[in-house]
Amino acid sequence: MSLDPGRWARIQRLFHDALEQPPADRRDFLTAAAAGDRALLDAVERMLAADAGGPSPLDRDLARVAAGVLEVDAAELPLADFGPYRITRLLGEGGMGVVYLARRSDLDSVAAIKILRDAWLSPARRERFAAEQRTLAQLHHPSIAQLHDADTLPDGTPWFVMEYVEGVPLTEYCRTQATSLEGRLELFRAVCEAVQHAHGHAVIHRDLKPSNILVTADGTVKLLDFGIAKHLEEVEGTVDQTRTGLRMMTPAYAAPEQILGDRVGIHSDIYSLGVILYELVTGQPPHDLANRTPVEAMSIVVERDPDKPSAVVRRPAGPGVVRPTGRSRVHTSWGDLDVLCLTAMHKEPARRYQTVEALMRDVDHYLAGEPLEARPDSVRYRMGKFVRRHRGAVAAAGAVVLLLLGTVVFYTVRLTRARNLAVAEAARTQRIQQYLVALFQGGDEAVGPADSLRVVTLVDRGIREANDLDADPAVQAELYLALGTITRQLGNLPRADSLLSRSLEQRRALLGPSHPDVAEALVALGGLRAEQARYDEGERLIREGLAIDRRALPSDHPGVRRGLAALGQVLQDRGAYEDAIAVQEELVAMLAPGDSPERAGSMSQLASSQFYAGHYDTSDSLNTLVLAMSRRLYGDRHPMVAEDLINLGATQLERGDYPAAEAYDRQALELTRAWYGDEHPKTAAGLTLLARALVYQKRNAEADSLLREALTIRERVYGPMHPVVASTINELGNIAVGEDRYDEAIAYFGRMVDIYRAAYGGQHYLIGVALSNMASAYAGKRAYAQAEPLYRQAIAMYQATLPPGHTTTAIAHIKLGRVLLRERRFREAEPETLAGYEVIAPTASPGNGFLRAARIDLAAIYDTLNQPAQAARFRAELADTGK
Amino acid sequence: MADRVPLAVPDSDDPRLVMLPGDREGLDRLFAATYEELRRLAATVRQGDPGLTLSPTALVNEAWIKLASAPPQMALTRLHFTRIAARAMRQVLVEAARKRNARKRGDGRALVTFDDSLDAPGADADDLLALDAALDDLARLSPRQALMVECRFFGGLDIGETAALLEVSEATIQRDWRAAKAWLAAELTRGR
Repeated sequence: MSLDPGRWARIQRLFHDALEQPPADRRDFLTAAAAGDRALLDAVERMLAADAGGPSPLDRDLARVAAGVLEVDAAELPLADFGPYRITRLLGEGGMGVVYLARRSDLDSVAAIKILRDAWLSPARRERFAAEQRTLAQLHHPSIAQLHDADTLPDGTPWFVMEYVEGVPLTEYCRTQATSLEGRLELFRAVCEAVQHAHGHAVIHRDLKPSNILVTADGTVKLLDFGIAKHLEEVEGTVDQTRTGLRMMTPAYAAPEQILGDRVGIHSDIYSLGVILYELVTGQPPHDLANRTPVEAMSIVVERDPDKPSAVVRRPAGPGVVRPTGRSRVHTSWGDLDVLCLTAMHKEPARRYQTVEALMRDVDHYLAGEPLEARPDSVRYRMGKFVRRHRGAVAAAGAVVLLLLGTVVFYTVRLTRARNLAVAEAARTQRIQQYLVALFQGGDEAVGPADSLRVVTLVDRGIREANDLDADPAVQAELYLALGTITRQLGNLPRADSLLSRSLEQRRALLGPSHPDVAEALVALGGLRAEQARYDEGERLIREGLAIDRRALPSDHPGVRRGLAALGQVLQDRGAYEDAIAVQEELVAMLAPGDSPERAGSMSQLASSQFYAGHYDTSDSLNTLVLAMSRRLYGDRHPMVAEDLINLGATQLERGDYPAAEAYDRQALELTRAWYGDEHPKTAAGLTLLARALVYQKRNAEADSLLREALTIRERVYGPMHPVVASTINELGNIAVGEDRYDEAIAYFGRMVDIYRAAYGGQHYLIGVALSNMASAYAGKRAYAQAEPLYRQAIAMYQATLPPGHTTTAIAHIKLGRVLLRERRFREAEPETLAGYEVIAPTASPGNGFLRAARIDLAAIYDTLNQPAQAARFRAELADTGK
Repeated sequence: MADRVPLAVPDSDDPRLVMLPGDREGLDRLFAATYEELRRLAATVRQGDPGLTLSPTALVNEAWIKLASAPPQMALTRLHFTRIAARAMRQVLVEAARKRNARKRGDGRALVTFDDSLDAPGADADDLLALDAALDDLARLSPRQALMVECRFFGGLDIGETAALLEVSEATIQRDWRAAKAWLAAELTRGR
């Protein structure tokens, strides 16, 4: 008979009662009490025996258990497959990872391999490891150890390969080489250059200390260990939350604000550089922390002012202290060295050098025997100047954008979803992390992390876990929201739907209708609806959520911003571009200037709406800013950069510069494939775009195979009736037209019309695009009678959905004109072709095919209509562009 | 920061609250911190210096101090913190034991023995997994008792602290502890 809580209570009662009896009487007592229940008697007797017997497993020392279970992996050299690298010996190990020396057999070179030990353990650890790798990948500088390669072992253990640096720590080098003061300052300057490079890529090292700065035999400085480095945008605006980093940080070189947990930034690295400089010029650190407890050490760093270097060097050197030697080429001005060191390591960040470059300039001034820029009384002045300069730059950037606003240009179809990826991606990571921890926290169930941390597996487990959490509806609702968001990211829309709907219902039931948490769920569900192409419903849900946020939260609260971003997206999705622009401009104006993922994402969304609305130059100038920002924020190989390239390519395509568009799209596809793999919707999008640029250049065979690959991916992810599928079909149809396979093309475009009608209801310019393309296929097979009404339907659709004077409408007029011309209906053709020509002539590039076609047709029309002057005018224009 | 300096250990009734940055995220970080502490703990045992052996209590205190000054978003009393830390330690050790066994099966390689005075290698892992499974069974019978065992064994709480955490009398804890311990020991022997 199996145990249940009631029976367990009975067993315990009997166990305790038996213990009250003298040992000799226990058996009789139990036999009587169990009343023939053999299993009960056995259970209690086994417990009594265990109670009387030897040590219980619970008496074991946890430390020994830990020692027995956690292996000394580092001592054994891993035999795993690290590509061309073979591990030869252990270099070192830390809390995070283990570093080995490795030989690359094919190149006969050595490198260092860093492996994340027990990667399965925690998302935070994996994230930290991945962050270091990303940081290194971004930095290319002779004084920064270079990243060579990175991968993951089959068991999920991430590793990366970096340059192996054979050298000694900076201070040790100076001590053993008895380096002169100038030599030390030159080395210090090289360190500054490396740090400056990192800052130029928005990377803060946060752990600068002599043991992380090696000097090689030829005197080259190498900066190592970006293990706790941070991106500027991660630390600015928020206080440093990486408290686990504290332990790894060496207080002797840590800035007071790091110790206090305040905002960390460039200024913290400058402080550490100041301490290093102090140690280099005096031969000893500013504070002696050797025999202090951590708490004492911290309070010294935060509170005590160091002695001036000039005072330190006047005292006799203690044991192990080697002061700079040799004669200086300039007179050693200790007063200036005091200012240099103490300005750099000022306790108030605002009174330090504001950039590494400023610090380097003063080192140069010192070496050249010139007066320093830093003087205690000039600090305020320099600060003010810096801020003014900074503000000026920001204002100038804004003005450029404003000047370009309103320059209406060219337009056409672009189907790739615009994105607010920065925000979505950040939310996703956070959700997954939150979810993983929720798993761990999830009550009394045994919830060991999965053997494999594949997200899909985890989500499946998570849904089961969440379903079991009936007792805690708040946590359950939160989990449903997190899981729904992840599931949406993974592309399983029906499942995301049921999770997000449940989350919304539960939050409403729990918190009432107007709580910000309800708003969060409304916005999430609305976003999903938009992705499902159910735009009306999506917009309604998002507006409802946003209204709650606006009532309950401050006007620029992240909740409000999230709602605005979602609203902008759904408006854009449904084709209400001017409305989307208004919302997105409001959002962008709300954000603080400077680089941030949210700002980049919001500006990019705005650029896309401007693009769709036909404001190409505005879109390009926004996207150019976004591309530069993405590169600074994420590095050159990030998918965000690919998105920006795609957006820039799109306008080139619309302007008719197809090779330029192809170049952008190829770069983007390469980045996307490398990041997401061959079978991801993002890769499909990249394939479609590149194919389109090829089609325009008549490279149909290349394009066709790219598109079929894309269509397979998309049908699997989105289902057969999704607008995204239609966009691929459109491209395949265009190729079929290009190859004179008209019936095939008509079938493709017919399916496209069906999909758009189903997705958008009766009214959307994309339905017009599909109709117009179908008409072109009929025109291609000279079935003009079928083509004409389709063009007219398309034009009517455009007129109902696009602003007047739109290029897309103009092109349809030109196409209709040509059909009428072919039918020799010249009088009817003239107004159509002319209407199209007048719209595109001022802005289209001279070689544009439609413009050229319009001129040829108009010349022919006016010939037959006996208007030779008009005909001559268009011939002349053609001749001009022919030159 | 030097590793082996005496640390100020907060009293069990320390009114100060631990602040974890963002509840879920904070827990994950706690998880990572606990892991690093456990590694350190294991290392001290391996070095064979009995004077250096840390108790789970000291370990939890380390993690506590490490996280104590994080930005305030979630407040926990130290006892509740311990409860979570104990869960984290159980999790980390059980997962490590599973990995260890999987590897043992996987490549047939002999595992390193750190200390001959310890049990045969692998025994700890098996014991721990058996204890973990038995604790799961116990949790189905009595969640409170399972939590109690977790806090005492993995979190190093004493009877008084456990009583305070679970809001019952010390006598109840003593009684529950004895029964749970006997039952778990019996279960583990039976499993052999």
